[in-house]
Amino acid sequence: MSKTTSRPDWADDVSEPDLSDPNAIPAPVTRTNKDGTKTTISYRIDENGRRVKTTRRTRTTIHRERVNPAIAERRSWPKFGLEKGKPKGPQPDTTSIAENMQFRPSVNWKAVQAEEAKSGANVTSEEKAKKDALKDKKVKCRICGGEHFTARCPYKETMAPVEEGGPAVDPLAEDDEKNAAGGLGATSGGYVPPHLRKGGAAGSGDRMGGKYERDDLATLRVTNVSEMAEEQDLRDMFERFGRVTRVFLAKDRDTGRAKGFAFISFVDRTDAARACEKMDGFGYRHLILRVEFAKRTT
Amino acid sequence: MRPVLLSGHERSLNQIKYTPDGDLLFSVAKDKNVCAWFTSNGERLGTYHGHQGAVWTVDVSPNTRLLATGAADNNVKLWNIKTGECVKTWGFPTAVKRVEFSEDGTQLLAVTEKRMGYLGTIVVYDIRYGEDLSDQTDEQSLRIECERSKATVAAWSYLSKYIIAGHEDGTVSQYDAKSGELLLDAEVHDDGYQVNDLQMSQDRTYFITAGKDKQAKLVTCRDLEILKTYKADTPLNTAAITPKKDFVILGGGQAAMDVTTTSARQGKFEARFYHKIFEDEIGRVRGHFGPLNTIAVHPQGTAYASGGEDGYVRMHAFDKPYFDFMYEVEREQARR
Repeated sequence: MSKTTSRPDWADDVSEPDLSDPNAIPAPVTRTNKDGTKTTISYRIDENGRRVKTTRRTRTTIHRERVNPAIAERRSWPKFGLEKGKPKGPQPDTTSIAENMQFRPSVNWKAVQAEEAKSGANVTSEEKAKKDALKDKKVKCRICGGEHFTARCPYKETMAPVEEGGPAVDPLAEDDEKNAAGGLGATSGGYVPPHLRKGGAAGSGDRMGGKYERDDLATLRVTNVSEMAEEQDLRDMFERFGRVTRVFLAKDRDTGRAKGFAFISFVDRTDAARACEKMDGFGYRHLILRVEFAKRTT
Repeated sequence: MRPVLLSGHERSLNQIKYTPDGDLLFSVAKDKNVCAWFTSNGERLGTYHGHQGAVWTVDVSPNTRLLATGAADNNVKLWNIKTGECVKTWGFPTAVKRVEFSEDGTQLLAVTEKRMGYLGTIVVYDIRYGEDLSDQTDEQSLRIECERSKATVAAWSYLSKYIIAGHEDGTVSQYDAKSGELLLDAEVHDDGYQVNDLQMSQDRTYFITAGKDKQAKLVTCRDLEILKTYKADTPLNTAAITPKKDFVILGGGQAAMDVTTTSARQGKFEARFYHKIFEDEIGRVRGHFGPLNTIAVHPQGTAYASGGEDGYVRMHAFDKPYFDFMYEVEREQARR
């Protein structure tokens, strides 16, 4: 230890067994670690005459496959006919892999297909409903009550808009009674903010509301996820901590690979907290996960 | 799932069959070769040469030693699966449309075509599995003549008790496998619509038929009672029952002659999955660009393969959603 001058490099191991001869290469040492992996330390001398220490950690996994002896025997049969003399393994001229496809059986497959066929002309059912609601709506002037827009009213300059309770009934209020889905709940005629409107949750404001309604309190944001990650893997990993309601893994639209982040929603916030604590720094597919609570997008 | 595409044939596929262990798949097509494939990786084990015409049908013996094929050259051939040699040839006056080994492999039935003044017949041979596989009898142990309507397909029932035959006029009949006597006759498919395929369940107590009348039916062997009906929107060429999950797979599509005039989407060239019990369609698998002529399911129910008019065999290994899929009632039942 004391003869540091004989060392070719300070980065070399401190516990070198033999220092008397700088050119001597110690025999490789292999020791078994607690977690079942093996560490092998070997030395070699590189082209510059320096001693290089290599530390390798290896994990051995044995994949055992049980095969029916008859099948195993058939696998070793020599090829014959047109394949005679060809090497082992699939030949590219006869065997190829087709593109990946999804097959998910579903109970209401027929209904879903029919729906899709209907909306084939790029019109979703939602848009259609909106159009239907507007179809028999009449234009009504707020000044004179005629069938034109208020801005185009011939009496625009001469008459002020009729006040509430006047001869012309507030068209919005009237509409509302006819069509509850239209949005306004109160008949007072004053401005009602969208979130207070009757049926606001089911109306057109739904999209926006939906984002906030989702329980972000129990949602984790997982980053540094491997490209090869699968939603199912994530689900399996996180389901250990409690019931998972939603797993969203961002994927590239073109390549289908994961983009590197995911959201996991739990039913219970305490589960989420536990998962966050345990899974932060967890190694998954050669990357270390970072888990934190999802922040609300504002 | 990623299907494995097998392109060993130059013409449309006629039948495919898995071995009982599911490790090999045999395919026959309108070209004269028979192909053997490993199902694990799609590697071709070899080809069997000897037929002079389109090979209509293939079956593999339960011990995976012999392969039987029937072809348009009026022959039934027996092959040594391992070496690819033809060990026996039986000649007939007309083409052979279907061959099948009995459950124990000791008998082989062959369905011959009605043509040139010959009646359609179902004949049975006894099969020996000695050291020398070419030691086979020339004598037919049974011969059934179909006078009314020719048989298109036939199969052995449980315990080789009956021979079930599907006919050109849409009827299915039950013959005694010992005497050849016609025991029962049932109008399973619409009159005049041919039965295109008939596949037994694993225990051979019921079977599924695929008809030209756009229907597939699940029928019992014992009394030919129709258990279930699966309605499709296209003539069906083939139908198979999946073990492990209670599904059936139907394949069909427009007749080959009309294919060129329609697009692939209209052609309905998809494998259709129906729930066996509830008779609902639960999904489709696309891929072929011609009608599906034949479908076979892995005996363990883990994969299926389809052969199409386009000359390709596509092997599909089912993935998790397939096995997880359950109706709500099934799930409840499983929970209990």
